[in-house]
Amino acid sequence: MTEVQIIIEDLQSQNTSVVAKIVKIVGQLDESNVDDKSQEIYKLIESIQPGQKLNVAFDFSGLEYMNSKSIGYLTDWYSKITGSGGKICISGAKDNITDILQVVGITQIITCYASLEEAKTYIIS
Amino acid sequence: MEVNNQNNEVKISVILPTNGYFLSSVRDFTKTLAQNMTGFSEKWAYRFQSVVDELASNAIEHGCRPGDEIKITFLAKKDESLVILVEDPGHGDQKFTAQQLNDMYNQKIKTFATQQFMGIRGRGLAQIVHPWSDEISFEDTETGGIRVKVVKYLKKQENSLEQSVNVSSERQ
Repeated sequence: MTEVQIIIEDLQSQNTSVVAKIVKIVGQLDESNVDDKSQEIYKLIESIQPGQKLNVAFDFSGLEYMNSKSIGYLTDWYSKITGSGGKICISGAKDNITDILQVVGITQIITCYASLEEAKTYIIS
Repeated sequence: MEVNNQNNEVKISVILPTNGYFLSSVRDFTKTLAQNMTGFSEKWAYRFQSVVDELASNAIEHGCRPGDEIKITFLAKKDESLVILVEDPGHGDQKFTAQQLNDMYNQKIKTFATQQFMGIRGRGLAQIVHPWSDEISFEDTETGGIRVKVVKYLKKQENSLEQSVNVSSERQ
């Protein structure tokens, strides 16, 4: 299995009904690991209580590769999070990651920030 | 691995077991080959990583059973083109013919051209391999499998300007 690590960090939000998280993905997401690893994000989404909104900044600064299925999971997380009133964004993606996100049209639906600080500002509000 | 040097052309074939663990090694190899033997930019080397990864993953999922092997062949012509062939043995449960795969591929291209696809699976060929290649063709093999052939020509201007999306000029 290709190595990948998902680190989920809490972020203090200005709004008490908002649960803000930074999800840092380090390594490569591919066919050998994405089905298993995606479950960590689904658990996070399912942990949100009624009345709460989940805002997530995906820190892709350590992400080296993502395949089409991992992009598919990303769109599914987007649908689930925004469908419940939450927000999602991406930060720090390397050029090759931004390139593949652009070619499949994800950058048209998910905001991408160059820095994590900008992403944090977006999700704590 | 087979290497033939002839007329500035290098042919390398890789036999890969149907184990996703080896995909990262093939991606590394693809990037190294593209950067060192073709003249394509680093950006395109990364793109070829994705093209090979998507084709190999499809071949393993749809054309193989446990213990099978797929064959990936690279034909690199320095400063001209890179041809990638991925061949499965045709033992998968969800086996397609070349014609069926071609029809599905073209249908997805039409669909994705007009709407944002939000599903988890089904992007690889139409949204990644298609825009990052100049030609793609599907062929039935003697063993009942599928051979997918992708060609990308090195266009000096495109390579230097690092355009993000290439519009296909020829389809089969």
